[in-house]
Amino acid sequence: MATTTATITLSSSDILSNIISLSKTTTLYDDNTTSTGLTQCQMGKVNVYVTGSSFDLIDATPNAEDQTQYVYIANKDTTAANYVTISIYNEIIGRLYAGDWMFIPWNADDPGGDNSAKNDIEVEAFVGGPQAVEYAVFTETAATNLVASGD
Amino acid sequence: MATTTATITLASGDMMDNSISISNTATLTNQGNDTGMTKTTGLTRIITAATDNVVLINTGDTSGNYGAAALGADNTINKGKIFIQNLNDRGDGSKYVTVLMQAVEIGRLYGGDWCFFPFDGASGGDDVELTPSSTTETALEYVAFYE
Repeated sequence: MATTTATITLSSSDILSNIISLSKTTTLYDDNTTSTGLTQCQMGKVNVYVTGSSFDLIDATPNAEDQTQYVYIANKDTTAANYVTISIYNEIIGRLYAGDWMFIPWNADDPGGDNSAKNDIEVEAFVGGPQAVEYAVFTETAATNLVASGD
Repeated sequence: MATTTATITLASGDMMDNSISISNTATLTNQGNDTGMTKTTGLTRIITAATDNVVLINTGDTSGNYGAAALGADNTINKGKIFIQNLNDRGDGSKYVTVLMQAVEIGRLYGGDWCFFPFDGASGGDDVELTPSSTTETALEYVAFYE
């Protein structure tokens, strides 16, 4: 097993009349365990072009359903108006504008149905570009997160 | 405008042969410009024993605490970013809260886990929802920043 931690710090001194400052750290464990750390990860950087299509950023393998996975995605573009949408198959989660990032748990269970390879995490650029997107996915030991070659 | 930042650090000394250290800071701005978000739900704590969907952010709501009828249209939550954490102990690792976007599962927050992501309900209906896996009381905290 491995020990991987994810920490968030949120802060603002002027959105409220009192300061917001919170920090939270979690250790990424397999499900149904108390202390078994995730052991697989994939990470990368891709350029996303405006093409009118979405692209699979992280594949959902049949074995991935209900496995514990955590996903980090960041839009490294620097033009404020530029954004990409992040979706799970056809359900848009939200827009990552230049400089934004997100960190979510992902169990590849919806919306394409059980064990569906449709449940990929997808990215689509709508403005400007190419926009550089960085990502990392941490996965548990019980299943591979590789896609079968099919040939 | 306000200046609100969100920083993530992902670290592992033994996942791979070399250490992983990812750090990134985002300044939370309105969509498409550099203007800082000026509205927030504030840090909110809820306790639920429900096993049905619980609507955490009712995007486009016109009747709730943040809705147009209550506070005016300018306070309706449509576009924002949300932080959610499951405050329960991890226990045996079998209990979790499923985070959903309008009934579509995103993933599971086990005890101690957190997530942070953008949401956009402007087109209608994309609420941020939760479904605890058991009737065990679950304590959660969340804060949304929105435009």
